Amino acid sequence: MSADTTPTPVRSSWRMPNWLESILGQLIALGIAIIGGAILIILVGEDPILVFTTLLRGAFGNSERIAGSLLQATPIIIAGVAACIALRGGLFNIGVEGQLYMGGFAAAFVGFQFALPTGLHMLVALAAAVVAGGLWILIPAFFRARFGTNEVVSTILSNYVAILLTSYFTIDVFKRPGGWSETDPVATTAYLPQLFEFSRLNFGLFIGLALAIGFHLFLTRTSRGYDMNTMGANMKFAEYGGIAVKRNILVILLCSGAVGGLAGGVETLGVHHRFMEGFAPGFGFDGVIAALLANGSPIGVIFTALFFGALRAGSLLMEVETNASREVITVFQAIIILCVSAQILLRRRRDSSQGERRWKF
Amino acid sequence: MKAIIRNLTAGAALVGAMTAGITAASADTLKVAAISGYFSQGFGIAIVDGLKKAEKDFDVEVKIVDTGNRALDYEEQFNNIAKDGEYDLVFVMGWELVDALQKSNAAYPDQKFIFIDGILESETMTYIDFVEEEGSYLVGALTGQLTEKGVEGFNSGSQVGFIGGRDIPVIRNFLMGYEQGVDEQSEGVSVSSVFSGTFDDPAKGSELAMTLYGQGVDVIYQAAGPTGEGVLQAAKVADKYAVGVDIDQCPTAPGHILASMLKRADVAVYDVIKGEVDGSAPVKPGPVSYGVAAGGIEVKVCDEVKDKIPAEVMTKLEEVRAGIADGSISVTLNQ
Repeated sequence: MSADTTPTPVRSSWRMPNWLESILGQLIALGIAIIGGAILIILVGEDPILVFTTLLRGAFGNSERIAGSLLQATPIIIAGVAACIALRGGLFNIGVEGQLYMGGFAAAFVGFQFALPTGLHMLVALAAAVVAGGLWILIPAFFRARFGTNEVVSTILSNYVAILLTSYFTIDVFKRPGGWSETDPVATTAYLPQLFEFSRLNFGLFIGLALAIGFHLFLTRTSRGYDMNTMGANMKFAEYGGIAVKRNILVILLCSGAVGGLAGGVETLGVHHRFMEGFAPGFGFDGVIAALLANGSPIGVIFTALFFGALRAGSLLMEVETNASREVITVFQAIIILCVSAQILLRRRRDSSQGERRWKF
Repeated sequence: MKAIIRNLTAGAALVGAMTAGITAASADTLKVAAISGYFSQGFGIAIVDGLKKAEKDFDVEVKIVDTGNRALDYEEQFNNIAKDGEYDLVFVMGWELVDALQKSNAAYPDQKFIFIDGILESETMTYIDFVEEEGSYLVGALTGQLTEKGVEGFNSGSQVGFIGGRDIPVIRNFLMGYEQGVDEQSEGVSVSSVFSGTFDDPAKGSELAMTLYGQGVDVIYQAAGPTGEGVLQAAKVADKYAVGVDIDQCPTAPGHILASMLKRADVAVYDVIKGEVDGSAPVKPGPVSYGVAAGGIEVKVCDEVKDKIPAEVMTKLEEVRAGIADGSISVTLNQ
């Protein structure tokens, strides 16, 4: 009788919503990074307030600088979506860098080798980038799907091959006569349209935004997206539930690679209009980091990429106008990455202790 | 949010204005910027040395800008430097910057850019051009003489080696000068040359060097950047000799580096600034050659091996140097 009325132990039932917790976590990370960065700047004998304000001015000071930040963010958004696609399917594509190089080269090749009408030329070149990126992940993807080979290792290794292979193409096969190691320029018919007169910012930004939003809708509005989420949450359960996991692994990785290739194509056709050695060092890895920080959310990637882009653009002015090296930003980023990944780990441990065993992506 | 950003930028402008007030020295101060991605490496370090020396000796303010290695950034970095016309001279080093440099040169025609170590198409820029073939000729004279005379350590064959980085015109210049020096200053010695195809692979440099040493070559002259480091290391392993390039590389493998062919970027940068400051040679568009005569190129025989080199060879080397300097020996590029 009395057993029914025994009060349950009082436990706070309110928990911060996930999104709020996530944003709060990012802000704390940012705070720690600012403090860490400031200490570093003081150590090199510069005024942290001056450095940070210069950084902000370099990123947002006028419309030209804002465009510069967006320009820097564009490849990170696209590469970030590429990484997100794999993450949400419970997979890792650390080979975005390599796919980006291959895609960048393929787009340049179509751009300088063929003569096609304006617009069509660009579309064909972008398609070539997509195909090149997809092909570049084909082997790791096949081995992952068929034999369960660890895709982290195989995609990382494919990066080196891609970077060296494109170097070889650029230096020995398609080198523009006389001049630095770069290919012939891409025909103007294949250029991605520039948005403003005063900046190299181009249509690629919209491609990135469309990809991120499109992927978000796919995840939340379609049954295939639901399958993918299930795989991401628990691969074994997904298989048990009747999802064709092996086939999906192949498709997901191929899509991830294809978007990675597109990131390179956009960079070639939108910014450089040629392919050169050391084309976009680290952009693929930046994308992976942006995706991890955004916890695999494609909408989140837009924001982390914009943040990284602003940091990069700002750091260029900072380097010229203050005595702090641009590398301060690298340290700054590293601190944020450390903080956020620590939080993800803590949250995962807490969730599993409350009976919730899910892979938070 | 907008208001916050506006406030922050306003604050930034204020702080900027304040520091500008503090650092703005007298109007006569020459402001010099140097931009490159290689300031931590040999040739870049020499440039920094030259700038520092000029800063000490004259009323000069120096700003060093590291480009990093991201091609996406270059254009913005040039514009950041050139936009206010704040710098009187801007030194630029590195071929990967050429595209961005040319755009910036077109956008800011009044900005004086000085490109180090090469000549570009644009006629509005200044170029510091090292006559590397003269130095290479000297190296050829030295190694050729040692091999011809069969000096101990140089007596296992009649060939001297050359390892180039990528097969590009500037490295060809090294080879042509070297071959000419060997041909003209020694009898019966020939050059065995190979290009590694890369500037960034010490392991490959090492491997190629070991192959050449295995073929009876006793000394290798390398012009291959970091790849060349591998050649120098191989000289130590094989107990043979190598010749350094660009900067003093004698300490890399003491006792196994015969000499270093120095491109004195420090001398060149200092001279250009000096000419501008005292008005004796204001910077004007076009190439400025730094060869043996101007002190921009020299061959430094390493201290560790000096006593192994016969006096007659040293005398001969000095004769050849004087000959190049006064023009009685001309080094030609048969391109």
